[in-house]
Parts: sequence; C-alpha cells; structure tokens
Amino acid sequence: MHRRQFLRNSGIALAMPWLESLRAATTEPPTRFGLVYFSNGVEPAHWWAKGSGASMEVGPGLAAMQPLTEHFSFLRGLYNQKAAETSSPHLGAMPNLLSGAEVSLDPAVIRVGKTMDQVLSGRIGGRTEIPSLVLGIEPNELRLEDGVSMIYGSAISWASEVRPATKEIYPARVFDRLVGNDQGRELDRSILDTLLDQAHSLRSQVSHSDRAKLEEYLESIRDIERRIDLATKQDRLEGWRPSLAEPNMERPASELPQEIPEHMRLMLDLIVLAFQMDKTRIATLMLNNDLSQMNFGFLDGVEGALHLDLTHNGRDPELEAMYLRTNQFHVEQFAYLVRRLSEIDEGGKSLLDSSMLIGCSNLFDGDQHQADEMPFLLAGRGGGLRPGQVLDYLSDGDDNRRACSLYLSLMDRMGVRLDRFGDSRRRLDRI
Amino acid sequence: MTRLVVMLGLVAAGANGTERPDTFSQYCYGCHSDAIANAGINLERLTSESSVADSFKHWQRVAAALEQHSMPPPGAPAPAEGERREAARWIHESLADYAAKHGGDPGRVTVRRLTSAEYAYTIRDLTGVDLDLGHHFAGDAVGGEGFSSFGDVQFMADANLESYLEVAKLVAEHAVIGSGPLQFGIHPRQSGYELSAIHRIHDLYRQHGFRATAAEGARPFGLDKYGAAFYAAWAYRHRDGDATLGDFARQEGLSQAFVKHVWSVVNREDAPYPVSEAIAMWRALPATGDEQAIRAKCTGIQNFVVDWPRWLFAVGAMAQGGAGDEGALIITDETIVGRSHAPLKFSPRDRGDGLGDLYLSVTQLNPAMSSAPRVVWRNATVRATTRDEQVLPERPLVEILPASEIERIGFGRTDGLGPGDFATVGEARLKVNVPAPEEWEQFTLRVEVEVDLAPDDDSILRVVIGDLENGSRTRAATALLTRPEGRPFARFKSGVLEHVANFPQASHGEPTPADRDPIPAPFDNTYDEPERDLFHFRIKYYRQDDFLVDKMLEDETKVRLDQAWYDLLDSFDYHDEFFVFTANKFGLSLDKKLSELDAGEIAALPDEPRGYAEALRREFDDVQVAQLAAQPGHINDVLAFAARAWRRPLAPGEADLLRRLYNVAREDRSLDHRSAIRAMLTKVLVAPEFLYRLERPELDSGPSQLSSWELASRLSYFLWASAPDEELLHAAASGALEDKSEIAKHVRRMLSDPKARRFATEFFGQWLGFYRFDQHTGVDAKRFPEFSQAVKSAMYDEAVSFFEHIVRERRPLREVFSADYTFLNDALARHYGAEVEAGRETGLVETADRFKRGGVMRLGAILTATSAPLRTSPVKRGDWILRRVLGTPTPPPPPDAGSLPGDEKSFGAMTVREQLEAHRANTACASCHSRIDPLGFALEHYDAVGRWRETYDNGKPVDAASVMAGGTPITGVESMLDYIGSQERQILLNLSEKLLGYALGRTIIASDLPLLDRMVAAGFDATFEELALQVATSRQFRYRRGRDDATPIELADGGTR
Repeated sequence: MHRRQFLRNSGIALAMPWLESLRAATTEPPTRFGLVYFSNGVEPAHWWAKGSGASMEVGPGLAAMQPLTEHFSFLRGLYNQKAAETSSPHLGAMPNLLSGAEVSLDPAVIRVGKTMDQVLSGRIGGRTEIPSLVLGIEPNELRLEDGVSMIYGSAISWASEVRPATKEIYPARVFDRLVGNDQGRELDRSILDTLLDQAHSLRSQVSHSDRAKLEEYLESIRDIERRIDLATKQDRLEGWRPSLAEPNMERPASELPQEIPEHMRLMLDLIVLAFQMDKTRIATLMLNNDLSQMNFGFLDGVEGALHLDLTHNGRDPELEAMYLRTNQFHVEQFAYLVRRLSEIDEGGKSLLDSSMLIGCSNLFDGDQHQADEMPFLLAGRGGGLRPGQVLDYLSDGDDNRRACSLYLSLMDRMGVRLDRFGDSRRRLDRI
Repeated sequence: MTRLVVMLGLVAAGANGTERPDTFSQYCYGCHSDAIANAGINLERLTSESSVADSFKHWQRVAAALEQHSMPPPGAPAPAEGERREAARWIHESLADYAAKHGGDPGRVTVRRLTSAEYAYTIRDLTGVDLDLGHHFAGDAVGGEGFSSFGDVQFMADANLESYLEVAKLVAEHAVIGSGPLQFGIHPRQSGYELSAIHRIHDLYRQHGFRATAAEGARPFGLDKYGAAFYAAWAYRHRDGDATLGDFARQEGLSQAFVKHVWSVVNREDAPYPVSEAIAMWRALPATGDEQAIRAKCTGIQNFVVDWPRWLFAVGAMAQGGAGDEGALIITDETIVGRSHAPLKFSPRDRGDGLGDLYLSVTQLNPAMSSAPRVVWRNATVRATTRDEQVLPERPLVEILPASEIERIGFGRTDGLGPGDFATVGEARLKVNVPAPEEWEQFTLRVEVEVDLAPDDDSILRVVIGDLENGSRTRAATALLTRPEGRPFARFKSGVLEHVANFPQASHGEPTPADRDPIPAPFDNTYDEPERDLFHFRIKYYRQDDFLVDKMLEDETKVRLDQAWYDLLDSFDYHDEFFVFTANKFGLSLDKKLSELDAGEIAALPDEPRGYAEALRREFDDVQVAQLAAQPGHINDVLAFAARAWRRPLAPGEADLLRRLYNVAREDRSLDHRSAIRAMLTKVLVAPEFLYRLERPELDSGPSQLSSWELASRLSYFLWASAPDEELLHAAASGALEDKSEIAKHVRRMLSDPKARRFATEFFGQWLGFYRFDQHTGVDAKRFPEFSQAVKSAMYDEAVSFFEHIVRERRPLREVFSADYTFLNDALARHYGAEVEAGRETGLVETADRFKRGGVMRLGAILTATSAPLRTSPVKRGDWILRRVLGTPTPPPPPDAGSLPGDEKSFGAMTVREQLEAHRANTACASCHSRIDPLGFALEHYDAVGRWRETYDNGKPVDAASVMAGGTPITGVESMLDYIGSQERQILLNLSEKLLGYALGRTIIASDLPLLDRMVAAGFDATFEELALQVATSRQFRYRRGRDDATPIELADGGTR
C-alpha cells in the first residue's frame, strides 16, 4: 500500500470513537471534567467542613465555598501511595498527583505516569475539536531541584510516562485555539504531508530511542492533520449543540497578564468558554508550579513568596495568617469556576450539573510536606455525582482512600472504564 | 558473550577479582536499605546492581563518607579503620577498573531538539536578521546535568508543532523575494519588501556614491572620492612601471570607472571655465613630492569642484559646512539666469545680535573681463514683522539708517539715482547695518539691482545679499547681471553645466526624495505646490542615479542596484500610479492602467504623454522580466538555505521533495511564486532535520564516529548554541574535522568569536543559575522599588559579560572566583554605590574590590537570585555554593524541617543567624547546616538585591563570621573566597561534569571518569578553552552509540583513541 494512503487510513481509524458516538447522538449535555490545582498544600487547622448540603459549614481555608455548599463535596484523606513513600518531599509527590505513579528521581531518566485527564483525552478527546486543555500560570522552571528536573514541578498533566502534556500559559493563545479556524489550511496540509513523507525515511536511520522522539514529532503532525481534516467536515462531531456558538469574551492581550489574579481569572474564563462552546470537555489548570515563589503581594496584608516565606512560615502567627490568605485565594479561584458554571444554562440544567470539578493540592500540611493525605474538593453533578457531602476516608483503611480510586470513578462517568489505574483497582465510595 | 562475563564478574567481584567486602551489609543497611534509604542512599539496592557503574555517584558518596568518617554516624557501630579503608578502596578500584574498560563510551544520548534559545540564535544566523521570536515558545525544560539541552526534557506535541509552524511562517514572511537572490529583511511581507529595497538602495548609494548636501537633515558623504580620484589620476600620470589606472583605483578603494572618468576630464584640452580651473590645479601638482602634501592638494581640488557651484549660488554649504541650506542645489539651463536687472529680496534667518548686519557683494565671473561696470541698487526698502506678529508698513531703507550710514553708502549721490538708491562700481563688498529695534522679529530687505554695461562689456556679475560675509545662514539673494543674450554668457552657462555634469554635487538622487528634493519633469517642482506634494505622496520614489551608474559602479554592483530598484518599483503599483499622475497632468482620461495598455494603445496617445508613457512602460516591463527571471534562482536559494538550516548537504531526494512542494503550491493550490517559496521555507524550518539535531549512527553496532557534518553541528551548538558557520561547514565538507588538531583550531576560533557570548549565557547561565535573570520575578517590588528593570537587566548583563570575558579573553579559571574586575553600566554602578561616568554602557571596571565586587560570588544576579523576595537567605546562598560551585550538595531536608520566617523585619529580636543557630542546635539539622550556613553567612553583607550593607534593617550590625563543619573559620566574603580557592579540585571536577553534561546532553556516567580526571588536571590556571578542547576532542563527543541498550560496550582500547 502506498504509505500516504496508509497514513490516511490510519487517520480514519483513529477517528473511529466519534464515528461511533455519532450513531449514539444525544441531546443530553456531555459530562465535563475540570481540575484546578494549587501547590504547597494548605494550613490544616483551617481546612475542614462539617454538616451537609445547605447546612454544611466550612473552615476558614475554604471560606469562598461556603455559599456553594450544595454544589460540592469535601473529601478528606485521599492519597497517592507512591507520593507518600517518596524520598523527595516535593517533586516525588507532585507530578504524580493525577496518575499515582512513582516519580523517577534518577537525573538521567524522566518518568512518571500518564495522568487521568490525559487518559480521558486520549480515549474521548477526539469527540471535540480540542482533546483537552492543559493550562498554567507559571512557565516551566528552568533548573534542577535536588538534582532532579523541575519539569516535574511544572506539570500536573502527563501525556505519557515520559512526556508532560504541553502546558499553555498565554491566555491569548488559548483563546486563539478555542476560536481558531482550521479551515483554509490546505497549504499547511501540503507542507505537513511532505514533512511526513520525508520524516518517514528518517525512522530507519536513527537509533531506537531517537525513533521514539521522532514518533512524538510524527504524531504531532498527524494530530494537526487530523484537526485540519475534521475542520473541513461541516457536521458537528456529536449530537450535542452547545449553548454558545461564538465566544462571549474578547481576545485577551497577546502578552502575559502583568497581574496574577487577572491571569488566573482569564484562564478560568477560558475554561468556561471552552466547556460552554464544547470545544473540549477536559481541562486542567495549575494555579502555580510546585515550589512556586509566586509573590502574593497583591493580596492585602500579604507579603512574600508562596513557598519559601509563606508555606514554610516557622509557625509565626502573622505569617500563618498570610499563608491562610493564599489558601483562601486559591479556593476563591475554584469557587469562581464553580459559580460561573452554575450560572450557565444548558437546556434546563446548569453547565455545573454536567461537570465534575476538582479543586486540590498534592500536599495536606504544606509546611510539613505532608503527602499521606491531600485536600480535595469535588464539585458538580456531572455523571451523577452527589455534591453537598463531607466525606472522610481517613479511617476507611489505606486501600479505600486512594486518589486513583476517585479517578477511576470519575473516568467511569466520562465513559472510560479501566480495571485499574495507578495504585488502585477500586472505585471510590459515596461520591 | 564477553559482556555477559564481565557483568557477572562484577556482581561477585570488583576490581582485580577482589570480592566486595561485607562492610556495607554489616554497618550500612540499618539506615540505607530498601526499607529506609536515608539521604537517598540505598546500599541494599546498590550492592545488588550488576556494576558499580550503574549508580557510580552514590558509590562515590559512600566512599567519601567512609574516608571522611562522616558515616556511620557517632554512636552507631562502625567498621574498624582497616575495614573502612578496604571498603573505600574496593569502591575506587572497581570504578577505576570499569572506567579503564569503558572510558570514552559515548553513553546514551537522546536526540536533541533545538531549545528556544538555540532556535532563535540559529534563525538569526541563518537569516542575518534579528527577529523577536520570544513568546512563541514556552516549552523549555531542564534536565540531565541541569541544562535545557537534555534531549529527554525536550518534548514535542501538536501544540508545540503548531508554534513551530507559526514561527516558521513568520520567518518566511521576512523573505525578500524579488528580482535578486533570496534574502531576509527585518520587516515582514509587502512593506518589508519595500523597506528592504530602500535599504539596499540606500546602502549601495552610501557605499559607492557621494553627496554634498541637501535634503532635510542630510549630511555630506563620500566627497573624498573626488580627492582620492584626483590622487589616483596623479599617481597614474607619474607612475613608474606598468601599473594601470585600474591598479591605482583599487589602491584608493575606488571603482575603475570613476577614476577613468576623472582621468579623462583632467586630460581635456578645451575645457571651459570653471572646469578649466580644476584641470589647471591638477596639472599644477608637482610630479614628485610628499604623499600627504599631494593628497592635501587633491583635497583642495575636490573642495573647488564641489564648492564652486555652491559658491556661485551662495548656498549655505560654503558658510555652514553643508548644514545651512536644506534645499537641493538645482543647476540647470533654467536655473542659471542672466539678467540686466533683477529684484532681490532677502530675510536674515533669525534674530540675534547681528540681526541687522547684511553683506552686499558684486563679483566678476568672466575671467576675460577687467572692466568695472556700475551696479545700481534701487529703491531699497525694509518690511519688518514684530514679535507680536504685526507686519509693519514697508519703509525705504534710507529712512531708517543713521545719517552717517547714508553718507557712507552714498544714497542718491550719483546722477540718475533717487534718494533711496545707491551704486557700487566693479567688484564690491558692502556691509550694511540695518538698525533693527528689539521688537522686530524678522525683516525683509528688497532692492532692485541693475547693471550699466558699455556695448563691449561682457561682464558677468554675481550679485549677492546675505547675512554672512561669504554667504548666508539661510538662502542668500543672488542674481547674475550681464547681457543675457550675449555669447559670453551662453558660453559661461554651458561651462557651468559642464562642470556640474563632470563634478556633480551628488552621484545620485535619494531613492525617497525628501520634501525639498526636486521632482522630475514634466511636473511642477515648486515647493509646497499640490502637484509636488501629491507626487511625494503617491509616487514616492524616483530614480536619478545616472552619474553613479555610468561613471562609478562596477558591473556587479550595477546588477545589485538594478535589482533593488526593480524590487522597490515592484513593491506597489508604482508605474500605474505614475501613469495616472502623468495622464492627469496632460488631461487624458483613461480607463485602463498602464500595465493593461497594449503597444497600440500607447502609440495612440498624444505626443508628449506618449513619451512618458513609453518610458514608464519600458521600465515596468523591465521590472516584470527581472522578477520572472529570478524565480528559478529562488528555488535554488531555498535549497541552499535548507542545506545550511539542516546543517549538511541535501540528499537528492530531499531537494526533490522541496521542489515538489513548490509545484504543489503553485499548481494544486494556485499560489503565486512568492507564496510557494515561503511554503518551501516554512517546510525547511518545521522539518525534523532543522528542529532536531539528528545523528545517524551505524545502527546495531558499537559506537561509531559521527559524520563530519554531525560533528560540526555538535561543535557549533556546544560553543555557539547555533548552527555551524561557513568556515565550520567548509571544514566538514573537506573532511578536516577528522583531525583532532583541526577540531582544536575551530574550538579556539569559536571561543574568541563574539558568538561565544551565547555560551556564557547558555552554559554559565544555566549552571550558575542566572539564566534569564532579566526576567527574574523573585524580588518583592514593594520592598525594593530601587530594584528596577534597568538594574535587573544590568545585573544580567554583568553576569553574562563577565563570563564572556573569561571565555573569550582566555582568562585563567581561578578568575571566575578571584577576579577583581566586573562589568557595570551607570545604573548598576549607582546601585552598587560605585562611581562610573554618567550614561556609561556596560563595560569592564577594574579594581572592583573597591566597592566589594569581582568574581562570580559577588555578582548582583547571583546574590539576588539566591535571596528570598524580602530578605537574604544564607541557606539558599550556602546551598548555591555547595551545589552549583562545589558540586557537593547536602541531601534534601526531611519533609518536616520547617523554615525561617519570610521577612527580615518580622524577626523580632532574633537575627537570621540566631534563628539558624537555634535550628542547628537540633542535631538532625546540624550535620547539613553546619556545612551550608557558614558559606551563606559569609555573604550576609550583601542584601537581598545584591547591595553591600553594614547593618540589617533593624539596625543590628551584620556578622558574616562563622566556623565551617571541619573547624575552618570563615570571617567574611574574603575568607570564604580563600576557602573556595582551596577547593580547586572539587570545583574543577564539578565544572567539568557540568560542561561535559552540557556538551553531550546527558548525565555523567562512570566511564567519563578518565576524561574528567584529565580535565581536572588542567588546574585553576588553565583557561576555559583548555577544558572545552578536552571535551570537543574526546571520544564521547565525537562518537555515538549505535544501539542504545543500557549495557555499555567494552572497548578494546579503553577509550583512549
């Protein structure tokens, strides 16, 4: 078979999932998954919730969630075993947040695990124009931490064991991707075609491990080609008609926003836009990198950098108060997302009703690098979630409190059923 | 099979068959095992590995702990001294044995993608254009030995590829695709095409032409070509030997054509005045004489030929060195007007002490005449404008002059003169002071001049009114009084025209005629008239460079100039616009563009416009032909570009694929030539051959030598972070790089090159942690408002310049720490409290010790980057020294270590030191902090933004003294530097590891130990170049593994080849 023909065929084969779903066309809004991550844990004394539903009462750390108690559940005690066991208090316990995998601390080998959002992206991302959004505020940090690459601390979404998903920190570029039109790219298609022709012959000339790198390149080309091809088809990919056809926000400025709150707000708005326009159903956002020195001077009464000054505050009451403010600020971002989604109507249901949102950090007590439990908030009714609960798994035994069990349960609700994931073979109870 | 045996051998035995001692399992497993691996050391796993090489760094730490008695900890059961020594010896010998067998192993190297910095440098070197590609990439990461050049952290996904595609298109937009070879311009697309053409024309004019003055703000240039040509002609005339005119032209840096022109003029026999004057001056040059003296005389001739026409019209150049008059000097049949009488009107430019001083002069221009004709100045009047902009009534000059002046000038004295008239006789100079009251802003003198000529008097009188003795600050009022219909004046006029044809004021008109430059016939050239303004606005460009082309340029340059002009006229619908303009001038109404008219339609036009239309159409056709003719060349240019971008010759199939893309774009996609060329360029820059530094080893075999092209790339990305230059490619093509001494030659050349600054940025920046410090965000701006962007950039510049100096100037390595110089601009000097001259750019400052600077430890960027946002951090600084400089980091703190408060101001009664000392009272903390803190304390005199201080904000004095773990006292930064100076071996080892890791794009492996030993042996007095040479000529650098299975291959020669 002519090689180009072969590639075309394989392209069609890869697009099969949505063809199947076409047959099962539906007018029910699809389920969305969104995650907002903040680094460096929380102040444990202020991180609690009791009661349920409208009468739920929350601790000061998550004060911003108090008006939203009917929309989220408070999860206590989830953990990743590999994170709890690692010898590296930061990087050994952070890039594996969404995979439960062990982090390779060998400087010569970058390896973690494919994360649950990227599993979803690979399985069902083809149903939307953009398989998944992976967003952040801070760029990759260009240094080693204790001899290990800070790429670990800069990525919560991993497309494969050895490759983080590309994190976008420029709001304008996210916007362009959401509204960008892949039609009229015939010339690009021609250029990419000849690149494939040429790169194919390279495969046999380079070493085995280089071939894997080349494969990343070829796969990237095929992804773009596939998108261009899809764009030329007029039909919607699935029966769902989004409640928004054109963006209802302006294109952000091309530069990075100067102010952190504005930057975060834009990214959250873009997630809302992406969900509402059904451009993607899977999104993660890192509010900060691990070991972040993000300067919180923009909060009233707060001075200093997140990690060194505020998280590790020496139990100085004044500084602990500032640390609490940063916790609260992070939760405010999550609360904003929850509220915005709750205000969007999708044929009698809110967009939040069709969403599963996580707000979390990978450490509990940030100062102590406590990785044997993690603070988790789970919002929305997507896939039949029952929000409004305070769920304490701490005393249920280690096997019954794995974060990966939660991921299995959530993936189920997106139609991706796995027998096992990370360190778990079970589903999480009660959510 | 052999390999297997070796592996098995190592399990049971180390070097020379020595059994592994039981020491490790007896004394170490308690804290370093699978169950608990303190400090990340797991001896249970280490001892189960097939070779000490697998985790050789851990083994080295174990050996050091044994030898330094730092393990087992006090109180724990410890091996006897002999047992201790034996265990350490076993480790060293096993490693040495392994290294001897495997030294020079290239190791596992993952193919490297260009980092975003490398990408930008490479594009810059390929295109010659500095494009801002900054924010298109955010995907860099760091790994391996701590560098972004580590292949395993260089990821690719569709989003990255989209970025590459976008940037490649952006670069392709900068391609200038016109009638010349493909090149790149600083501006993109159509406007970039236009600007590139203007710049090329301008550059050629600048380089090969000259101009006396004119045009707003224009300065004279290139006039010394006249003097040099007179000199070359003189030298040729008095040559001995058989040197040609061309030889002398070359000697003077002139074109042969121009010297030929001057030679032919000075050899004329019948030249009219004033050319005859120049010829006479040249011929009067002595046949022999001091070169300088002859040259000075030639400059005199140059001044005469240039200045004479300016003098004739009394324009500003004479008086003001070219700055006085911005109007072009237009000397044509129309502008040289002789009259028997003429009105003159003159306004001094501005008010000053000399507002009222006017100079009137009469000069005889006909050298044949010696008569003294009378010039009558009639009815001189003055009209003044006051400071409050009132125009006062015009008054006769005689009314406002004092009586003594009226007497001196002689108003009304001669027959036939009115009371307001006066007369001069023959050549005359007359100064008139008009008493201008303070309230006058400006005034104008008007006067009628006329000459009384006897019937046989052929005088030609130059009459001038100005405000300087020899001209005017502004345009003087001039007239030529003569008998205009007489033959002598006609002869004079043709002489002037001949002079300016032979010795023009400018070799060319500017491509973009300035406001005051003339526009061509038939258009109205009157300043500020609508036609002229519209011409400047609509047509913009007009080519007038006949003299340059005919008399000055070599053929090759003519071609380039033509190409640039074709491109400029092709950059918009120039000829159509010009034709519309012409048609309007002649009242033609046409519904077709010039480009749409056929020959018959043009022929049917009325006579006068037809001439213009035909010329325009001819030029238009020339442009089209030139564009079309250049097209095949562009395709080849892209192929040549691809070879440079891909850093090797193209395979025939690759060239075919690129050509095929061109055809697809033209035929299938119906795109024009330029778009198709841009598509090719885009492909070149998105191809894996460009984005990745691909290496094609012999597969399924042992290590094989890199090809010369691959090695050239390794060298250039190692030392320049960019693609090889022509010289390196040439060396690769000739096979010279097979030779180690040839490699060494290039390493030396490359490290002296300005591009080695990139090495300072990339390698030293990443190693020492000032990479991208210009974007550092770790300082609290509210607390330190004085840490401005200017200071931040200057600190970054200081750090990069310092290492550039160390590298390029071949400074001994010890100066990295002990230098007593640094690099400051005035902003940074002020920040440091040093004194340099105001406005100073970043440059070397000696004896920096005066203000506590010099060496890497005292760089502002380092001191700031190792601080917290609000305070200094002795721990971060100490850790920085241990980790980055010495390469002996302490293990990470236990998760529950806790920390210091963030703000110096909230310390209350305790200083950082007191807090840390309290911390160290805890024995768990002490073992590391007694190593870290003293080094950090030594820098406490530098605050969080790198300034020297004697006290903290709370007023307590800074105390920089403490004692190192081993008992060495450190009293401050000086003694800390002494301590660093004593750690030569360790520092060099660390630097060598980093350098090798950077160059190879991998981590250090056990088989690198012999090479590292050789590098360390170079010592602190070695230059950086010596280390780079060791790396570049090493087997690791020049070879690549064929298969990348983890098991290293045993080398027959132990890797010394």
